[in-house]
Amino acid sequence: MTETTTTEPWLDSNQKPYIQIVNVTKKFGDFTAIDNLSLDIYKNEFFSLLGPSGCGKTTLLRMLAGFERFTEGRVLVDGEDISEIPPHLRPINMMFQSYALFPHLTVEKNIAFGLKQDKLPDNVINQRVEEMLELVELTDFAKRKPGQLSGGQSQRVALARSLAKQPKLLLLDEPLGALDKRLREQTQFELMDIQEKLEVTFVIVTHDQEEAMTVSSRIGVMDSGKLIQVATPTQIYEAPINREVADFIGDVNIFKGIYKGQDEKGTQLLSEDSKSIIYATQKVDVPVGNRIWFALRPEKLEITRKLPEVDCNILKGKIEDIGYGGSFSTYHVKLKNGRQLTAIRANRERTAEHHLTWGDEVYLHWAPHSAVVLLS
Amino acid sequence: MNIKEIQVPSFLRRAFNGRNAAISIPYLWLLLLFLFPFVIVLKISLAQPVIAMPPYTPLFSWGDSLWPKIQAGLDSYLFLFSDSLYIKAYLSSIKIATISTVLTLIIGYAIAYSIARAPTRWRGILLMLVILPFWTSFLIRVYAWIGILKTEGLLNLALMTLGIIEKPLIIMNTDLAVYIGIVYSYLPFMILPLYANLEKMDMNLLEAAADLGCRPFKTFWNVTIPLSLPGILAGCFLVFIPVIGEFVIPDLLGGTKTLMIGKVLWGEFFYNRDWPVASAVAIIMLLLLVVPIIFYQKSQEKAIS
Repeated sequence: MTETTTTEPWLDSNQKPYIQIVNVTKKFGDFTAIDNLSLDIYKNEFFSLLGPSGCGKTTLLRMLAGFERFTEGRVLVDGEDISEIPPHLRPINMMFQSYALFPHLTVEKNIAFGLKQDKLPDNVINQRVEEMLELVELTDFAKRKPGQLSGGQSQRVALARSLAKQPKLLLLDEPLGALDKRLREQTQFELMDIQEKLEVTFVIVTHDQEEAMTVSSRIGVMDSGKLIQVATPTQIYEAPINREVADFIGDVNIFKGIYKGQDEKGTQLLSEDSKSIIYATQKVDVPVGNRIWFALRPEKLEITRKLPEVDCNILKGKIEDIGYGGSFSTYHVKLKNGRQLTAIRANRERTAEHHLTWGDEVYLHWAPHSAVVLLS
Repeated sequence: MNIKEIQVPSFLRRAFNGRNAAISIPYLWLLLLFLFPFVIVLKISLAQPVIAMPPYTPLFSWGDSLWPKIQAGLDSYLFLFSDSLYIKAYLSSIKIATISTVLTLIIGYAIAYSIARAPTRWRGILLMLVILPFWTSFLIRVYAWIGILKTEGLLNLALMTLGIIEKPLIIMNTDLAVYIGIVYSYLPFMILPLYANLEKMDMNLLEAAADLGCRPFKTFWNVTIPLSLPGILAGCFLVFIPVIGEFVIPDLLGGTKTLMIGKVLWGEFFYNRDWPVASAVAIIMLLLLVVPIIFYQKSQEKAIS
């Protein structure tokens, strides 16, 4: 992931986007699935479309593949307008959620299927198929039929088949959705390796935010046919633009309140929960008295039994629930007004001396720079 | 009260449990309505024709001796091979069944495909229309074709009124009329298994083929057809097997030259009253059909596994 953060083509105005989605709208009857959406994706990006089901992410992917025609707008790949090109002529391949392997063909024939359509000579096809089988480590399974493969193997055949034609753009529809958790995590890294090795631009659709954050160079968070935020995983997580994004990606504690201005400690918010002023470093440009929100990730909330030696952002509460997660524990802390906050603490000691338990009176506090100020 | 306390021998318990009882019903059915009549026909085929009631010699005759005398011979079978009429009739039946199966497949595939790809709310209605003719008697429907195909029938009338032909077409009492009758009558048996197969086909596979650069027609040829093979086989066997023994259609629509084994069989039974030869014809026909039936079974097992 480090090399993608060092090269951030979307910040460089000299870089030309590789995939340009321009003012695309898709309507199914009265229902607007995609609402005037524009997006630039750069070469060799691993771009994730993330959103709840029904947000239009799969429709967008299917439009890129050519299976759905859009009502308005256009799509350019490498400068070429592909809007009117039928799916079988697009330089784009797709990996289907169901894998869609041809059940009557062997693994190698499945992988060779696309190459055969290009009427390549047999030796070229065989060589490419062999390379692909090696890439996904399925050489021993070449003669098997899809019915004789496990879920993980089918997934890799589907990937090999969609990569065999060396597409300009690979679309992946929930590629890891059918795998169990352990295999999914392992496959995420394999996908990233393959993407780097082959230098293909990936656009992946997923509803799994952890998956999106692990694999992506950038994430586009979608809802109701619109892109709400397009940014790197870190930005999406640490600087969500509104409560919806903050809430959709990871857990978050939201403090509602009234903007009271700035002082040397930062932005002041009169919290509805504690009826006191709490602080965030981030500055805002709205009139005093406006409603604003602070978002705080649970791991940024410190939980202590002693009164912390800081001069602001201290809340008192009682532990309601503890979720032991092995490497960390999740604490649900109830404030005096009944509001429940979530704090996460790493379990760094094997046998904790300062063991916190149910019913303990505790203090929660955070550094002002840990909070994100949201205007909507 | 524990039922298990009643001592029932374990082999009886095993023989009369509910599962075995349920399985035994189809076997009993087949035993009574297929195997038993088959044995009777086999028995008759080994007898000699006589002018009596029934018109064949009994298999066992007691006479004076203590032991029954068995009277059986392969005379009827040898007769079948001595007269070329029978072999010609068998071959002609196979030819007519093969050609009409192919024609039914082509037409049936097109219909099944378009129903399976129609909007969901239309499919039930369209399928109903395929089954609807069954509400009318088979015999009446074949008679109706006479009205359509005969020299002064509806078809000729329509074509001549439209000025497409000047003289009426001679279709009635030809092989063509037999093909029309067979294709029409057996079309539902082709459409239904094909539809069942095509309807559940994963549309993602067709999209995947297109995505990999396959033109629509090639996708049909490379993906749809191979995947519908179980449906094609089922439909072909369901048409081919009964058409081999078809009697009504060649008798009503075909001419004197139309030779089919079903017609020969009928003739032997009712005109010649030679029941042993007629039975032998039936037995040989059955043996001929065993081959495609075994293939059909094999393909069905493969489709299930």
